[in-house]
Amino acid sequence: MTLKDIAKTSLSNLSRHKVRTVLSTVGVTVGILTLVTMLSLGVGVQREITQAFQGAGLETVRIRPVTEESTSFSLYAEPKRKVLITPELVEEMRARDDVVAANPHMDVPWSANVSLQVGDEMVQASVDEVSWIPNEPFSQAPDLAAGRELIPGAPGEIYVSSDTLAALGHEGQAAIDALVGQEVALVLKAPRGDTQAFPLRVVGVFHPNYGIDGPYFDAHINMPDSLALKAWWYNDPDILEHEGYDALTVKAASLNDAVQIVEQLEERGFQVTSVKMMLDMVNKSMVVLQTMLGSVGGLALFVASIGIANTMVMAIYERTKEIGVLKAVGASPGDIRLLFVAEASLIGLLGGIIGTVGGWLLGLGLNEAILAYLEWKEIPVTGTFFVVTGWLVALAMAFATVIGLLAGLYPAARAARLDPVEALRHE
Amino acid sequence: MDIVVRAVGLTRRYEMGDTFVDALRGVDLTLARGEFVALVGPSGSGKSTVLNLIGGLDRPTSGEVWIDGTELSKSDERTLTRHRRQHVGFVFQSFNLLPRLTAEENAALPLMFSGVPEKERLSRARTLLTRVGLGARLTHRPTQLSSGEQQRVAIARALVGQPALVLADEPTGNLDTATGVEIMDLLKELNQEHGLTLLVVTHDPEIAAFADRMVRLRDGQVES
Repeated sequence: MTLKDIAKTSLSNLSRHKVRTVLSTVGVTVGILTLVTMLSLGVGVQREITQAFQGAGLETVRIRPVTEESTSFSLYAEPKRKVLITPELVEEMRARDDVVAANPHMDVPWSANVSLQVGDEMVQASVDEVSWIPNEPFSQAPDLAAGRELIPGAPGEIYVSSDTLAALGHEGQAAIDALVGQEVALVLKAPRGDTQAFPLRVVGVFHPNYGIDGPYFDAHINMPDSLALKAWWYNDPDILEHEGYDALTVKAASLNDAVQIVEQLEERGFQVTSVKMMLDMVNKSMVVLQTMLGSVGGLALFVASIGIANTMVMAIYERTKEIGVLKAVGASPGDIRLLFVAEASLIGLLGGIIGTVGGWLLGLGLNEAILAYLEWKEIPVTGTFFVVTGWLVALAMAFATVIGLLAGLYPAARAARLDPVEALRHE
Repeated sequence: MDIVVRAVGLTRRYEMGDTFVDALRGVDLTLARGEFVALVGPSGSGKSTVLNLIGGLDRPTSGEVWIDGTELSKSDERTLTRHRRQHVGFVFQSFNLLPRLTAEENAALPLMFSGVPEKERLSRARTLLTRVGLGARLTHRPTQLSSGEQQRVAIARALVGQPALVLADEPTGNLDTATGVEIMDLLKELNQEHGLTLLVVTHDPEIAAFADRMVRLRDGQVES
């Protein structure tokens, strides 16, 4: 028998009992539909996350000092650090061949009493160093309203929220535009009684976004200025020497270099996180999620396989005489087995095709529904959450066929074993 | 004499629970090439059992069956399958055509298991169907054919593999007398035209009269 003969005979047998074939197929269809929908969700979400992470640059490594446990809470002193991010460490990193850039960070103390002064007007404002990394997921930069964003590392620049300016009476686009390039000041008032103004130039104004990307501070400044503010606030001109930087961002030349840097700095006692590590963690949890979701479909397929086996056993009873005839005209037990297994596999494949198409359509529908829901909730998220890839289609079809094949093995063996004389006598 | 079938001392015992039924009790039978033999006897005499043993559908409890030099009684399943494929053609009382296949597909069916390409096997089936008078009904399904026509398709199916031997079990049993005679005429013609060796099982003396020779069975033994 050629493959064509087998396919033709199986199809012809299946088309003889259309209703029963469809009913046996339903189980596989539901199983594969579930499997494809679930797995395509896994693939889609993972792809979205991976893309977001890749935008951030997987080579980026973030280093923080490890602090000792503080025994008492103090507004004016931070917990002692076990290891320091010294300027020497920054230089060491910059000197390495496998490092493209190393940028130290200094936070403005959250306890500091800071006001923004524009002309004669002054308002309390929260200030920090630039807290977002361009393109990094989950730390999206706020929308630019006027001027430009800060150039990291450039001293004397300030980036101000339009809300804060409005509180000072500078409302409307024209007023905001007029302020770009003007000198303003951050005024610190220490509990010890001193007051100090730090003059800065407005380079840009941003719209604060209090949605999922916010909240932002009222103003952002660059590292040299945040260091100056912190040193003055703690009244410690040599604070860098005593405490080091608050963080260091290193961009490695390659992913492998990043992994090595992470290992080396962890050995030296720093707390190191990299986008790669986060991505690995997310990937790991996605595999768990996919396995769980896949199991649901798997269970449905197990039940479906019992249905197929039942259909094929029924077919033996119906076709006993026919099997006898086939044996009499020269079919070997192997031929009979092949025909039955092919028929069961075909039921699986048919279910697989319908299930895959159904799962794909369901994914498209659900994707639209989710996006519509997010839009209605005013959550600015876009993307494709259900992705049916080529390998997923191939996997689903192959899996469905194998399920059918396995379900057909026992009935096929029984059919092949039938005694031709008995079978021919069967009515 | 060119011997096609030689059966020696055939016995066949069936187990029925605790008891045994001896369907055959030592049957000797020889068929020369081109011979047309009728195997007659009352119901339960063991006619069909002999046919099944010669056809390789069953194995004897003891005795030997030689077909064209091959001994079947101790052969494995593979040899029996090859024997059915290459050396015998079956014609049944109830035709046993596959209802979803057309006349030509039914007639070509045995060649599918021999691996003959579809085009060639259909062409051979058409030639034979034309020979048995069904040239105009090639694409009809069994339900669209009369009983006589169905048996003609079955005869074409039995001949399509060019077997040395055709075994017919009550081929006219489901046909009216006139049609039965037509079918026997056809078998006789094929026997004479192609030198086909024919073993026909029947309980009808009129049908048996078409044969060159008659072998009578009674209670599992050949009556002399």
